Amino acid sequence: MSSPTTTTSPPQTIDLTALPVAQLTNVKNQLTSELQHLTTSFSQLKQAQAKFRDCGNNVRDGLERGEGTPILVPLTPSLYVPGKLASTDTVLVDIGTGFYVEKTPPAAREFYSRKVEELGRNLQDLEKIVQGKQGNLNVVEDVLRQKVIAESSKGGGESSV
Amino acid sequence: MASDQQKLQSLIDAYQKLQNDLQATVTARQKLESQQQENKGVQKEFTLLPPTSQIYKLIGPVLLKQDRSEAVMAVEGRLEFIDKEIKRIESQIQSMQSESENKKMEVYRLQTQLQQQGESVS
Repeated sequence: MSSPTTTTSPPQTIDLTALPVAQLTNVKNQLTSELQHLTTSFSQLKQAQAKFRDCGNNVRDGLERGEGTPILVPLTPSLYVPGKLASTDTVLVDIGTGFYVEKTPPAAREFYSRKVEELGRNLQDLEKIVQGKQGNLNVVEDVLRQKVIAESSKGGGESSV
Repeated sequence: MASDQQKLQSLIDAYQKLQNDLQATVTARQKLESQQQENKGVQKEFTLLPPTSQIYKLIGPVLLKQDRSEAVMAVEGRLEFIDKEIKRIESQIQSMQSESENKKMEVYRLQTQLQQQGESVS
């Protein structure tokens, strides 16, 4: 018998068909919440990646116009004051945990593209995990459905459960 | 009979409380993990930086110039601290997990016992 197995705990394989319905439901719920969590993380990662890409593009597009370019500086999200681009030699890059580093524009672009790449790798890993979990969930749901069907037909015959 | 029910209820309550605590601890663990990742990223960035780069630290709304060695040390210190915290919380999670497993078994035992009693009465 080719028993469907969960890969949630790799060292031991569990015969899903041997589990009672209540436990299967628990497993299913757990998998669903895990999957949801992972999907949320996935979209957050995607957003972060897009943000880094935007930053890189901004460094490229914003600074190629050179010094003295008139700009509008946002004081608040809805209040802008006119200004001039003072220096395009260096930019200040937020590298995390409150640290900022002065970088040349090419170095900054390289920094951002590296971040995008890193996140891309993470996204790929996460995608694999999500797919695996999805597969597990499908298997569990299948077995659960079969069990419920089997039980209801049995319950009809014996009239007591 | 009623006292058994009460006992079961209090056991279930205790189990649920444990589960909630466990959840909170796991969330704290995740937060530490993300902080660790961020700090590691910063540390890596420092090693890639050309020695002449000026480093600033954001303190409140102000950017302060900071010594490179000072910044590197600060990040190292943080990583060390986070490492310790993770280890501490990890053991906490483990003990909580075994405790909640025990509680679960207790609830299960009492439940089956009550069920059997109910069956023998009827």
